[in-house]
Amino acid sequence: MGPLIPQGYVNSDLNLFFAFVIGLGFGYVLEQGGFSNSKKLAGVFYGYDFVVLRVFFTAALTAAIGLLLFSYMGLVEYDMLYVNPTFVKAAIVGGIIMGFGFILGGYCPGTSMVGAVIGKIDAMFFVVGLMGGVFFFGSFYETFKPLYEADNLGGILVYDSLGVDRDWFVFIFGLIALAAFIITRKIEDRINGVELLPKGLFHPSYRMPFFMMLFLAALNLYLPQSPRAKWNETDAKTLLGEAAAEVHYAMIDEVAYKLLHESENDLMLVDVRPAEDFQRFALPGAKNLPLKEVLGQKAGKLLDDSNKKVVIYSYSSTDADQAWMLLRREGHKDIRVLKGGLNGFFTEFFVENHQTQSRNEKEQFDTRFRERAMKAFKTGEAAEKIISKGKPVTTIVDIEPPKAGKGGC
Amino acid sequence: MEQKPKAYMNPYLAGFLLGLVLLSAFFITGRGLGASGAAKSVVIETIGSVAPEYAKENSFYASFFATGDGRPMRNWLVYLTLGVLGGAFFSGFLSGRAGFKIDKGVRITNATRLIFAVAGGFLFGVGSQFGRGCTSGAALSGMAVLSTAGFITVIAIFGTGYAIAYFFRKLWIN
Repeated sequence: MGPLIPQGYVNSDLNLFFAFVIGLGFGYVLEQGGFSNSKKLAGVFYGYDFVVLRVFFTAALTAAIGLLLFSYMGLVEYDMLYVNPTFVKAAIVGGIIMGFGFILGGYCPGTSMVGAVIGKIDAMFFVVGLMGGVFFFGSFYETFKPLYEADNLGGILVYDSLGVDRDWFVFIFGLIALAAFIITRKIEDRINGVELLPKGLFHPSYRMPFFMMLFLAALNLYLPQSPRAKWNETDAKTLLGEAAAEVHYAMIDEVAYKLLHESENDLMLVDVRPAEDFQRFALPGAKNLPLKEVLGQKAGKLLDDSNKKVVIYSYSSTDADQAWMLLRREGHKDIRVLKGGLNGFFTEFFVENHQTQSRNEKEQFDTRFRERAMKAFKTGEAAEKIISKGKPVTTIVDIEPPKAGKGGC
Repeated sequence: MEQKPKAYMNPYLAGFLLGLVLLSAFFITGRGLGASGAAKSVVIETIGSVAPEYAKENSFYASFFATGDGRPMRNWLVYLTLGVLGGAFFSGFLSGRAGFKIDKGVRITNATRLIFAVAGGFLFGVGSQFGRGCTSGAALSGMAVLSTAGFITVIAIFGTGYAIAYFFRKLWIN
């Protein structure tokens, strides 16, 4: 389901609105947590106030565990999250420079803005310096570039780098944070004098969120490996009902008609045959999604991005039916299968002598339509028609009749 | 001190809530939080309007104007930061913490504090460009998605901080 905007569940125009709303929460929590006070922030380095460590690690753990659980429940597509790329040298150099900046300035960029807006003059000066620093970097960009761009390892993940299991990593990370909370509390007490503060292992005591997190981290560790239940998954009974009722079939005539009338074409044709077959020939405008990859990420993207009605086809209906079943099970809606498949399509429009005597008006109309459509497809008129519209079509391959021996059941 | 400012929120609760904000950022937009990005946008916008010729020649700025819609301020991180300013002001105002003030150690003058604040900001500006984000963007958001870069940045920032804290102790402690 999520992330909502990259997946197209929420209009991307709302992106900036959400940015603002999330920012409100970010700023509010930082200020409430005491991050507007540079003396308090710097305390983490001198042992008189570890608020930075507490807030920072609790937040990182909450979000990390939250994302894993969301991903487990199928609420978020983990692969679509932005993972900041690792440039080892630049990250270390940048971190060291920022470490100096933290000690000297007492703020980091986010907290300085929080401080500046409520009237902290030192924070305002920090922000001015921050802009100066960015300008300095920009001015000497060419000089810094080799270091800035050295050793790009891409969006690698820390547990892979360390060679440990992801869930164990998070759990141990939680334990380390827990240990750090206890130790820093002792240090703080010694430096400030214990009498000043109420007793307790976790003072300031807010054990609930933290122990809940640790519990979740442990839960995450012991959950069975990825059943990845989708929130919108269709259950077997519904599927059986739909399959038995055969409401999921798109008729050949409808597809042919829409291919010939671009303005009325609200279909997205999805070819589930192997890529080699697709390369040889396919219906105009069709996109290739081999049956094997039907549950992959590409499939989700292709189907979710489109607001057209999806029609799946293969040589016959068999592979397409399987793909339909799988996709419906994943929760995709508005998907149909081309009845009779490509073979049926060719029989209707490329083989002339199958027609029988038409008896009533309806059948005569159908016959006339098919004759016209046959002409159009055979002369390649259909493909040209689509090209000439200049619509974005990924693959256009002229239709050829199937070669002997090739094809479905 | 007639009106005593309210106490700060419990840090674990604040961290938990901050984690939820971060989680919702990832859930909605697929990316984390950031703060230095907005500073970068302001600088780029300023250079672009004050010295457009220079901006065109310098690849740091030029790449920004070449890609996208050429409007650095219409940027996710800029709107996020506007929200941060709003949220922080709201919080500080409600808790009676709004007002002009300089926080510092007792042994230094205000002028010294401000000079070091500018210097620290400057270093953060340079460092956040190298690190591709600051404490929020690279470190916190990076840790949330378990990126290696996030953990390296955290260790480098805090490791350096602890390594040099002693030499700058006059700034903060007695």
